[in-house]
Amino acid sequence: MARVGEAAPPVAARDALARARLRASLVPDLLVEARRVVNTVIAGWHGRRKRGIGENFWQFRPYVEGETMSRIDWRRSARDDHVYVRDKEWEAAHTVWLWADPSPSMLYQSRGASVSKESRALVLILALAELLSRSGERIAWPGLSDPFTARNGAERLASYLLHAGELPARPNLSQLRRFSDIVVAGDFLDPVEETFEWLDPLAQRGVRAHLIEISDPAEESFPYSGRTEFTDPETGQKLTAGRAETLAEDYRRLYTARRQELASRCAKLGWSYTVNHTDRLASDALVKVHMAMTADVGHGGR
Amino acid sequence: MGWLPISFGFPAILFGLLALPVIWWLLRLTPPKPQTETFPPLRILARVMRKEETPHQSPWWLTLLRLLMAALVIFALADPVFNAREATPASGGATAIVIDNGWASAPDWEVRVATAERLIDDANDAGQPVVLAFTAEQTNTEIGPFDAATARERLAAAEPRPVPVDRLAMFTRVAQALEAVPDATVAMLSDGLATDGDEAAFQALLAGSTGQLVWIEPNELAMIGVRESDNLADAFTFSAVRSTTDALPRQATAAAFDDRGRRIAETTLSFGAGETEAQGQFRVPFELRNDFVSIVVDGQNQAASVYLLDENSRRRRVGLISQAEADAAQPLLSPLYYIRRALEPFSDLVEPSSTDLNEAIPEILEQRPAMIVMADVGTLPDTARERLVEWMNEGGTLVRFAGSRLAAAGNDEELLPVRLRTGERALGGALSWTEPQPVTEFPPTGPFADLAPPTEVTVSRQVLAEPTADIVERTWANLADGTPLITGAPRGEGTLVLFHVTPEATWSSLPISGSFVEILRRIVQLSRNQGRIDASGEGAAGSLAPYRMIAADGQLVPPGPEARPLEPGQRPAVTIENPPGFYGTEEGVVAHNLLTPDATFSPIERPETGLPVTTAAYAFDEAVDLKGPLIAAALALMLLDTLAVFWMGGIFARRSGLRPGPAQTASLVVAALAGGLVFLPANADAQDAQPDDEAAIAAISQTRIAYVVTGNGSVDAVSRAGLQGLTRYLVEKTALEPADPAGVDIETDELAFYPLIYWPVDETAAMPSEAALARVDAYMREGGTVLFDTRDQYSNGFGANAASPSTRRLRDILANMNVPPLEPVPQDHVLTKTFFIMPDFPGRFAGGPLWVEASFDAANPDNRPVRTGDGVSPIMITANDFAGAWAIDSSGAPMFPTVPADPMQRVYAYRAGVNIMMYMLTGNYKSDQVHVPILLERLGQ
Repeated sequence: MARVGEAAPPVAARDALARARLRASLVPDLLVEARRVVNTVIAGWHGRRKRGIGENFWQFRPYVEGETMSRIDWRRSARDDHVYVRDKEWEAAHTVWLWADPSPSMLYQSRGASVSKESRALVLILALAELLSRSGERIAWPGLSDPFTARNGAERLASYLLHAGELPARPNLSQLRRFSDIVVAGDFLDPVEETFEWLDPLAQRGVRAHLIEISDPAEESFPYSGRTEFTDPETGQKLTAGRAETLAEDYRRLYTARRQELASRCAKLGWSYTVNHTDRLASDALVKVHMAMTADVGHGGR
Repeated sequence: MGWLPISFGFPAILFGLLALPVIWWLLRLTPPKPQTETFPPLRILARVMRKEETPHQSPWWLTLLRLLMAALVIFALADPVFNAREATPASGGATAIVIDNGWASAPDWEVRVATAERLIDDANDAGQPVVLAFTAEQTNTEIGPFDAATARERLAAAEPRPVPVDRLAMFTRVAQALEAVPDATVAMLSDGLATDGDEAAFQALLAGSTGQLVWIEPNELAMIGVRESDNLADAFTFSAVRSTTDALPRQATAAAFDDRGRRIAETTLSFGAGETEAQGQFRVPFELRNDFVSIVVDGQNQAASVYLLDENSRRRRVGLISQAEADAAQPLLSPLYYIRRALEPFSDLVEPSSTDLNEAIPEILEQRPAMIVMADVGTLPDTARERLVEWMNEGGTLVRFAGSRLAAAGNDEELLPVRLRTGERALGGALSWTEPQPVTEFPPTGPFADLAPPTEVTVSRQVLAEPTADIVERTWANLADGTPLITGAPRGEGTLVLFHVTPEATWSSLPISGSFVEILRRIVQLSRNQGRIDASGEGAAGSLAPYRMIAADGQLVPPGPEARPLEPGQRPAVTIENPPGFYGTEEGVVAHNLLTPDATFSPIERPETGLPVTTAAYAFDEAVDLKGPLIAAALALMLLDTLAVFWMGGIFARRSGLRPGPAQTASLVVAALAGGLVFLPANADAQDAQPDDEAAIAAISQTRIAYVVTGNGSVDAVSRAGLQGLTRYLVEKTALEPADPAGVDIETDELAFYPLIYWPVDETAAMPSEAALARVDAYMREGGTVLFDTRDQYSNGFGANAASPSTRRLRDILANMNVPPLEPVPQDHVLTKTFFIMPDFPGRFAGGPLWVEASFDAANPDNRPVRTGDGVSPIMITANDFAGAWAIDSSGAPMFPTVPADPMQRVYAYRAGVNIMMYMLTGNYKSDQVHVPILLERLGQ
């Protein structure tokens, strides 16, 4: 009997990029609904509909004692007796950190899946990078790059990935500041506690996270039967089940229980949790994440 | 299969063993090699599989088990027979079986019989008559030919004899019996020991028309024989001999037995490598040595290992009397010097402290000597003389030596065996033409008849006996001219001996010759035996009736019908008519031993003959068909294999996984009890009603909390009211509905009925007895819990060593019990969670900790609310006066205020009681509750 799934070779970043572009073209421009941002404010291309630092005119308002004289708009002030100050619209770029799980378990691809989990994760991340770059957001790969703004953000991210050597199994999240977003694409197969052990600091720092669980259909449906030896691609640990089909029900229960727990904890923190199966279209997930990023759900820290 | 006595009916099947590697390879594949699957969510799967996980290949021991099973089956099919019997080829017209049944065959006689039986069977199969001869039997025994049945009967009736074999005589008879039979088969079942006439015997046996020889001899000659003993001054020595083929170093234990068969001394015999002879020594006091009757080498069970001792080997006391002043400067001239030197090795010498005969003779007689030697003593004082004569008449032996004093003393009928001429006779010398006279042959009537005459001895002076009619028979030794040198005569039961020379080397060279020692030794030996046996007067003169015989297995038994009286004289041969043993009567016996002092055990040699010879070994017919046991073993292994497969398949694990540990144990106990009830109905019926049954039934038909009746009325009333209050609270709040509390007297009442015993420690009550404390201790060990309440939280004083009287009493009580290590209830102890969540356990007083058994092995790795850990603490100690807080009066109102007066504290106290009670009844159930979701999952809900 042929195997249900096997580890696929790692996906070339350039190939993923091409497909990511394709995906990205299907999605409308992504404008992250950024809200009150204090520290990470840098001029961006989308207005905040309030006065602040920016290039576009926002309003004239009467000069108040104590303000810098240089801010007075003399042309307007000359029209009448009042002295006006010209306010500009606050334009700020939002920082979105993107990270895909590079662990060996992501290389898994079952017969029912069109791509490996890693491929899907990279596609999703790069698609998001493309979208975000297009809308002028600052994107970054934790541990690989600082946040940057570029029209060709996805390409740059892809080239970073190309040149990066071994990627750590866990992202270095120390650079993340408040009010940034992070998109994490992975399989989240570790116990929930372990996952949240490294995600919890994000919640404490007020980072909004969007978890995309890339799931292979075989992992979820457990189509195995008969005497089967299971190998963990990460640890190499082996388990032999005499009759694998007897385990299916229990396994599925635990598997979905884990997913539900992840989802509920994310919901509690105000994070989004998206599941994408590798036998489904990547755009499904992209739309969902897009929705989640644009939706005005409050930051947990606020 | 030379190294194992196994033969196979179908050895070809053993080639099947070559298939084992193939089977091994096949087994490696079974269970079928699993599909290998990469599976990232393995950790989740691992949680599902838990104990179910099967190793990825059969464990080595399972493979081994199966291989063993296959090998067993192959072996079984090959029809193996253990110790298969080799049929002896029978040929010719008859089979003669000649069996050595001498003493050396005794230890393994059964094997010889079994071997002979097989030969008889073989002869029977071949239809041959059997000539059955035993070499130690009398030569006139019937030897056949017999038919097989008769031969078997005679074989069964035969027994080993405690005598050497006489091969020549028996072989001659066998040869005669076979004369008419052509090509007879002769089977020689030898005992392995060579005898003198072997060569001639075998010639006689094989000379006739013998067709073939079956030669059977023992594999080893392990016999040890005792052949000689000697009673020395400081030890009793004996020499033992073993077979010359037995070359390895060997140790054996020998023991000495007295006349009632008691083992009174023991020693070790050590044969060096290659030595056939060993000396043993008993270093015990001579009084004890004189009680020796036999020396036996342990573990031999044959007649040669028993050496009998008679009077001859006993050491005797010999008194020495001399009138000459001891001259230390010239010891060689002392009259007793040579006597002392001669007697010392085999007797105990007694010498008087004074030379005054009046004192010396009674002093010596008090020591009850067997013999007194008087060196040149002339006349004796009257009183001493009378006593000496009396002693002699009662059996003493008096040996006198001549000398100038004796020569001058004149004749004394009673103390001299012969009349002496006065004066002495000198032979040789400057003024004499006579020559010093040598000693001639000992007269055959005398006791020295078998000694070699000391021809080198010359006598130059002597006292002369008057020639009388009986002088010849009284003469024990003569000079060449016929004059007596030693004369002796019986006196009453005793003997009187006179040496006609001095005991020093002045008159003759006798004292410095070796014969002097021999003569003295003989006198010492004969002194009592000779007289007594002669005095018994039974049977023909000198012939000794058999008294106790050595059986073939070395035991002393009454004489059999074949034993004949022992003729005196030279040492008679040991034959079937004179088997070894004691001869004589109760008063005195002579030992007739199997081995001569120069006996050796040399192995028998197979005769050189041109006949076909089949060599075999003694063996039982132990042919065992191994097919059945092997198949049974294979089946057992198959069962084991099935169980192992079940076990590996997780059947047992799955079943046990449904229940928590204690409950499973309980169910097992219940099952065991049920089983016991089913299988022991008789016992159950046999038990009549006991007087305490009603109380016991009442105590156990409902759960009750018990308290210890201290004897202090107020304390007991509070305990009862308190437990009543707790009981009521339990009924209200929980599903537990205990009956009224029970007061128990720890001295008498059965404690096992109660899960919890509340013990208010009261210093005014009497200290419980040790037995009562032991009962409480046993109760705690068997799973009960005692809640000690010292009720002294606020009267404990301050400081680390402060202790109230109650606490001191508690310490006294616990000092007599096995108290486990204690700790205050930790925050995550199951006691804090069993019903209510309780951080602490107040009673009427607050603040005192509740001490429970420390749970060292408890683990709480997952930061769970409750630590895991088995068991229930057998002891709880508090100072908070629980009963005081729980106590209610008849109207249900609390009896005592709490300290401080806080209504919530009473509620907490009740809750503490509920928790304790729940802890008692449910154990660690609560800490197991965290597994409930998984348990439900497993149950398939």
